[in-house]
Amino acid sequence: MYGFEALTFNIHGGYLEAIVRGHRSGLLTASDYNNLCQCETLDDIKMHLSATEYGPYLQNEPSPLHTTTVVEKCTLKLVDEYKHMLCQATEPLSTFLEYITYGYMIDNVVLIVTGTLHERDVQELLEKCHPLGMFDSIATLAVAQNMRELYRLVLVDTPLAPYFSECITSEDLDDMNIEIMRNTLYKAYLEDFYNFCQKLGGATSEIMSDLLAFEADRRAVNITINSIGTELTRDDRRKLYSNFGLLYPYGHEELAISEDIDQVRAVMEKYPPYQSIFAKISYGESQMLDKAFYEEEVKRLCLAFEQQFHYAVFFAYMRLREQEIRNLMWISECVAQNQKSRIHDSVVFIF
Amino acid sequence: MEEDDRCSSSNPGGIGQEEEDEDGKVLRFLDSLDTYLTLLDSLSSTLRQGWFEVASARHSMGSSRISSVLLDQKVQSAATTFQVRKSIHGSPSESCPSFAISKWASSRDGKCSFGELEVSHVRKTSKNSELRHRGSSNFYDTTEEHDLTINASSSISDSNVHQERSKSLSVFGTLVSPRLRAAQVSFETALDAIVEIANIRSSMLSAFTQLQQQMKEKDLS
Repeated sequence: MYGFEALTFNIHGGYLEAIVRGHRSGLLTASDYNNLCQCETLDDIKMHLSATEYGPYLQNEPSPLHTTTVVEKCTLKLVDEYKHMLCQATEPLSTFLEYITYGYMIDNVVLIVTGTLHERDVQELLEKCHPLGMFDSIATLAVAQNMRELYRLVLVDTPLAPYFSECITSEDLDDMNIEIMRNTLYKAYLEDFYNFCQKLGGATSEIMSDLLAFEADRRAVNITINSIGTELTRDDRRKLYSNFGLLYPYGHEELAISEDIDQVRAVMEKYPPYQSIFAKISYGESQMLDKAFYEEEVKRLCLAFEQQFHYAVFFAYMRLREQEIRNLMWISECVAQNQKSRIHDSVVFIF
Repeated sequence: MEEDDRCSSSNPGGIGQEEEDEDGKVLRFLDSLDTYLTLLDSLSSTLRQGWFEVASARHSMGSSRISSVLLDQKVQSAATTFQVRKSIHGSPSESCPSFAISKWASSRDGKCSFGELEVSHVRKTSKNSELRHRGSSNFYDTTEEHDLTINASSSISDSNVHQERSKSLSVFGTLVSPRLRAAQVSFETALDAIVEIANIRSSMLSAFTQLQQQMKEKDLS
């Protein structure tokens, strides 16, 4: 019953909620970002990060550093924290935490399949996979010739199996089919996660519904913008949108027929929560849209910590760390390319 | 000095014409040099813009979606080829290799048609030219007869160019960020600039060689 979580939540979830709130206080602050933005080289960035929780992960990296190294080591920290929480979690929190990783699993599957299609070495591809999305039989993906084999040989024993029901065809894997597979899987995953959170009920359901609905809406906008001028038909585009969210169903109908960014804007401005996002960008421009969406997401994720005794704090923490790693990647790229004047184009401050 | 005066008085226009000719060559050389330096600067900023756009796309789509590990290693026909024309007629001082790029060539049934785009105005200093093709990959199938048709006046339509661009970007997925497409255009512009720089450099070196020769002849006389 909603409102009475305080009576029982701490029995099983109290320790981990305290842990995740502790991790949250380790997120980089505005002053950390200001210091990082003033760095001249990647070694300066490494030096500034050595004073943060990322220090132990970067200290042994030899110079010269590369931006991908910074991202990899910072991701390792997130992975270690996640694994610690997962091994301490009981049901249903453990299932909730596993749901968070299914998105990475989908990305890894698509990476392996695409790389194999391009005749790349499997070992090379495995090194590029996200550690949170690894599973035992992932290397076997390289032998599949079509989606039916992909499912039958590998994915039937993974948590992604239920999401394949809409993808199974005997068509050969090519770039378009792989893209449709990626988005169809992710759509099914989001809907499944949404339903799972609804079953949990309480504050988890309320907060996660809002966060996942925002995720679904953002995906719909990105799919629309990225598919403008491509071979993807309106019907195929419409099929990739999730069946929940603020834009479902009428917004999706209008997005499916949008042919440029201004039409997308016209659709989104009908929804008050998204008016503020599109108010930040000028007409015909889509460059700052990503940043505007990330800022809105960070705002909602931070609000999740204002309430206690729910699981959404774990989801919010993982997403905030991802945003932080994105910020570090961006700052590193701008420093490496000597484009420091453009750093603030995409850095999203969390606090 | 008196001889010079007699020469100038007997052929005043000739010496003046030589000086004008020399001045003209110096001006041509300096013009080429100025264009060359401007193009180098433009290339540098275009490449910076391109790499920045790639970083933006990676930030938007994720590092795993834009990575060198996804590049296609299958043998395939070259989307863009580079041609070198070298003059073999006349003195070395008159040789002026010219460069051209054929972008987004499409192959149909073993035949290829090029939409040859001359990036810059090429000074043709000789009538005979040797055409040399350099493709970036194994383009010719030895088991099929290949027939290259170079049509200097044809151009590939915008829709075909758009299709070819999408095809080359499809290694990163079909639904890519507009920033990645912008990066592709930037690198394409940079490639055009590189060819133009090569042509300008060629003409600049040729002008310099001619000028040097003329000055040597003048010193000897």
